[in-house]
Amino acid sequence: MGIWEALLNWLRSLFFKQEMELSLIGLQNAGKTSLVNVVATGGYSEDMIPTVGFNMRKVTKGNVTIKLWDLGGQPRFRSMWERYCRAVSAIVYVVDAADHDNLSISRSELHDLLSKPSLSGIPLLVLGNKIDKSGALSKQALTDEMGLKSITDREVCCFMISCKNSTNIDSVIDWLVKHSKSKN
Amino acid sequence: MAQPLVKKDDDRDDEAEYSPFMGIEKGAVLQEARVFNDPQLDPRRCSQVITKLLYLLNQGETFTKVEATEVFFAVTKLFQSKDVGLRRMLYLMIKELSPSADEVIIVTSSLMKDMNSKTDMYRANAIRVLCRITDGVLLTQIERYLKQAIVDKNPVVASAALVSGIHLLQTNPEVVKRWSNEVQEAVQSRAALVQFHALALLHQIRQNDRLAVSKLVTSLTRGTVRSPLAQCLLIRYTSQVIRESASNSQGGDRPFYDFLEGCLRHKAEMVIFEAARAITELSGVTSRELTPAITVLQLFLSSSKPVLRFAAVRTLNKVAMTHPMAVTNCNIDMESLISDQNRSIATLAITTLLKTGNESSVDRLMKQITNFMSDIADEFKIVVVEAIRSLCLKFPLKYRSLMNFLSNILREEGGFEYKKAIVDSIVILIRDIPDAKENGLLHLCEFIEDCEFTYLSTQILHFLGIEGPKTSDPSKYIRYIYNRVHLENATVRAAAVSTLAKFGAMVDALKPRIFVLLRRCLFDSDDEVRDRATLYLNTLGGDGEVVETDKGVKEFLFGALDIPLVNLETSLRNYEASEDAFDINSVPKEVKSQPLAEKKAPGKKQPTGLGAPPAAPPTTVDAYERLLSSIPELASLGKPFKSSAPTELTEAETEYAVNVVKHIYDRHVVFQYNCTNTIPEQQLEEVSVVVDSSDAEEFGFVLSKPLRSLPYDSPGQTFVVFEKPEGVPAVGKFSNTLKFIVKEVDPNTGEADEDGVDDEYQLEELEVVSADYMQKVGISNFRNAWESLDADLERVDEYGLGPRESLAEAVNAVISLLGMQPCEGTEAVPSNSRSHTCLLSGVFIGNTRVLARLQFGLTGPKEVAMKLAVRSDDIAVSDAIHEIVASG
Repeated sequence: MGIWEALLNWLRSLFFKQEMELSLIGLQNAGKTSLVNVVATGGYSEDMIPTVGFNMRKVTKGNVTIKLWDLGGQPRFRSMWERYCRAVSAIVYVVDAADHDNLSISRSELHDLLSKPSLSGIPLLVLGNKIDKSGALSKQALTDEMGLKSITDREVCCFMISCKNSTNIDSVIDWLVKHSKSKN
Repeated sequence: MAQPLVKKDDDRDDEAEYSPFMGIEKGAVLQEARVFNDPQLDPRRCSQVITKLLYLLNQGETFTKVEATEVFFAVTKLFQSKDVGLRRMLYLMIKELSPSADEVIIVTSSLMKDMNSKTDMYRANAIRVLCRITDGVLLTQIERYLKQAIVDKNPVVASAALVSGIHLLQTNPEVVKRWSNEVQEAVQSRAALVQFHALALLHQIRQNDRLAVSKLVTSLTRGTVRSPLAQCLLIRYTSQVIRESASNSQGGDRPFYDFLEGCLRHKAEMVIFEAARAITELSGVTSRELTPAITVLQLFLSSSKPVLRFAAVRTLNKVAMTHPMAVTNCNIDMESLISDQNRSIATLAITTLLKTGNESSVDRLMKQITNFMSDIADEFKIVVVEAIRSLCLKFPLKYRSLMNFLSNILREEGGFEYKKAIVDSIVILIRDIPDAKENGLLHLCEFIEDCEFTYLSTQILHFLGIEGPKTSDPSKYIRYIYNRVHLENATVRAAAVSTLAKFGAMVDALKPRIFVLLRRCLFDSDDEVRDRATLYLNTLGGDGEVVETDKGVKEFLFGALDIPLVNLETSLRNYEASEDAFDINSVPKEVKSQPLAEKKAPGKKQPTGLGAPPAAPPTTVDAYERLLSSIPELASLGKPFKSSAPTELTEAETEYAVNVVKHIYDRHVVFQYNCTNTIPEQQLEEVSVVVDSSDAEEFGFVLSKPLRSLPYDSPGQTFVVFEKPEGVPAVGKFSNTLKFIVKEVDPNTGEADEDGVDDEYQLEELEVVSADYMQKVGISNFRNAWESLDADLERVDEYGLGPRESLAEAVNAVISLLGMQPCEGTEAVPSNSRSHTCLLSGVFIGNTRVLARLQFGLTGPKEVAMKLAVRSDDIAVSDAIHEIVASG
């Protein structure tokens, strides 16, 4: 039976193959690379090194192949984000919901980026990470802090997730898959 | 990168029909580069576009900052492809674009991932690129991986890490030095490439530590190196160690020589050659050590591979300069190389043969060269011409055939540099070999009959003007010179007019004919030519009857401009047009005493061509003569026999700089003190030198001529005259004191105070030595001159010279003691020789010709003995020479 199903899936993926490209951005230590690992393999590690530059990952979910540009969040890379966001299916912006001090920087970086003409109309998914920590913001608070209501020129969505506990990761994937379809 | 990028087309015809790079344009390629951003990548197409971009970069095309940035970021998108070929192009592209540091950092993470990839090719190339773009901080992060890579199983990866290490050593030496253990392990690798790179890196890490390098060489020469390339490196390091240890271990066997000799039997030709070359370059190599190396090089000479033939002949060419005898064995092999297809090999073979050949083989060689000259390029021809010139100076007897050869090639086609080299050579030969003069001048005359180079024509005309009138039949040159007035451009015509005038001035018999010719020049179309003709007619008295040219006129025509051009230029600039004519005598004659001394110092004849001022030393002698005859007290003494080079009597940078020139007369000695005042606030007056001659008994004080005033920074002369017995080479020491009156100078007005203070200044001692009585006069054929002197007037004696640094040092000491001119290049002592013969000639006071043959030999460790044979026209002079040596 398992063989049959695998074969069927493979055939289906041949005919209904979908592709999408995503950019993963956000300040350093927000959990972007961890998110990629969780989405790709389901694994999580506390011990991560900062991404110098970018990681390119391809993840297949169902019949959708997702190309992920996981970009470094340190200040010296922020000016280069825009180059890797052009013509992607969606921009995924990860925020550390427990790090209150950097929220305002995160907010201004996001709004700076979205003001670029080359990125107009690209859907935005904001993820509030690390909700396993005490003191993490609620979804409403995050929406307010990040000023998401003021973004009107594109589709904006917000989820609260925890890479550590894999909370809400499924909804994120669902949202992404849905957008790959809606794009075609 | 690890593998060759594009396969080279084996068939060149195909290339001619179709080049994949035809008509590539930057703009179009940059448009094409947009495919890098396609969501669905086509690796093949992307690779092609990168190839084109790389081609453009290699052709020297430059991208603007914006273009380079665009391309770079587009290229980074290609990291999504798993295509191995495309990834390799991607690495190359990043390396070649070398974007700015703040941009290139974006690929760091991806490269680090590749560096630990399972694909060997990824690992190797990622290491190379990463090390290229890395900075110190990042390097410490990746150091761990690099150390692993050095000992990687895959040789390509290990080599990549090692080569990166060599590059990083320049910027981050302290990091790379920590890798010593891994590198040492890599030296033992079985892979040839790894061993080679590891050895190179290990040596670089230790290069500042002499002991460590020596240890490295000692351990490796025991035979663990398999790679031929690494073996070559090891040979180089070994010769370095030998060089550095040579100074402290004198005598006995040379360390590591056995290793080098063993390498001569290696199976790789590369190693054999490297070892042979290393042996030939050993300092002070003996002929016993040299023999095996020469033998293998001789085998290479007949190799079928051009590169081996070239390497061998080039090395032998160098050896021939120091050890001509060692190379003679190869002469037969080298002669067959004269007709080698490769012209570089042929030229080197010829010049080597010219160096090693003896007098008897010269004619045969010349014949062979003649056939070959037409086939080679000008630059090689110049090499040959220079070799012939030195050959001619070595064998003056052969001048006839060599001069003929030079004149023959002078007639053939050739560029300016080549022709100039030939003309220079002929001029040098004329100057150094008196017998060759007339012959050579005629060749030059013939050359200017059909010479397309104005520069050479004017130079030759000038030279003719000086040398021509002194020949036995000056009239035969007139036709060649006057032809120039008809046939050439204005510059050459003007030079020809000057030359004619010189003939007229020097040869009275030719005067009437010269006047006729000069008068015809008065109708020339060019101002300068007419002006010169008029001037010369007037100065030579062309309108009246033929009179003997007076001295002033000769001086005017032949005298070199004794005013430094720099000074003349400054004076002319300062000259304001007015009623008063510009007075050339007001131009200061001395720039500084320094250049004068410099010009005088290389008194020995040097092969200077036409470009150099002809015969610089005589010019200064002329200047002295003029100076001395301008002073009434000194003019009565006659003509000085010899003027010495200036000797400094003060330390450099003292208040007053004084040097002395000794003028030797038959019955007198004149000391000319050149004084310079280096203090701006002072003016010196009544400057004189008080000479104490108590240590020079044979000399008697005659007079002193003080200098009236010595302002700041303008040199002046004061003279002291001594009497001495006629014709006797009296020697002695003199102590000197400078006496003067100091006056303060007002820096604002530049005027000196009324009152001065008497003062004196101690100078160093000066000495009149025997060499001062000897003129350096060279001769071309020592043997003929030697035979022509009466053997009864020969004096022979032997001397022990005591411990000397080297044979060469002893030879030089005797030459400078006698002050004579070495002949036939015998002053050069080949290193390592145990005996040497030196030939000297000179003219002793009283115009007696003196020839000396010195035979030196080593009698013990550093003990030098000399046998001196002297012949001269006067037996007393021969004795005097011996006395000089005995007392020196």
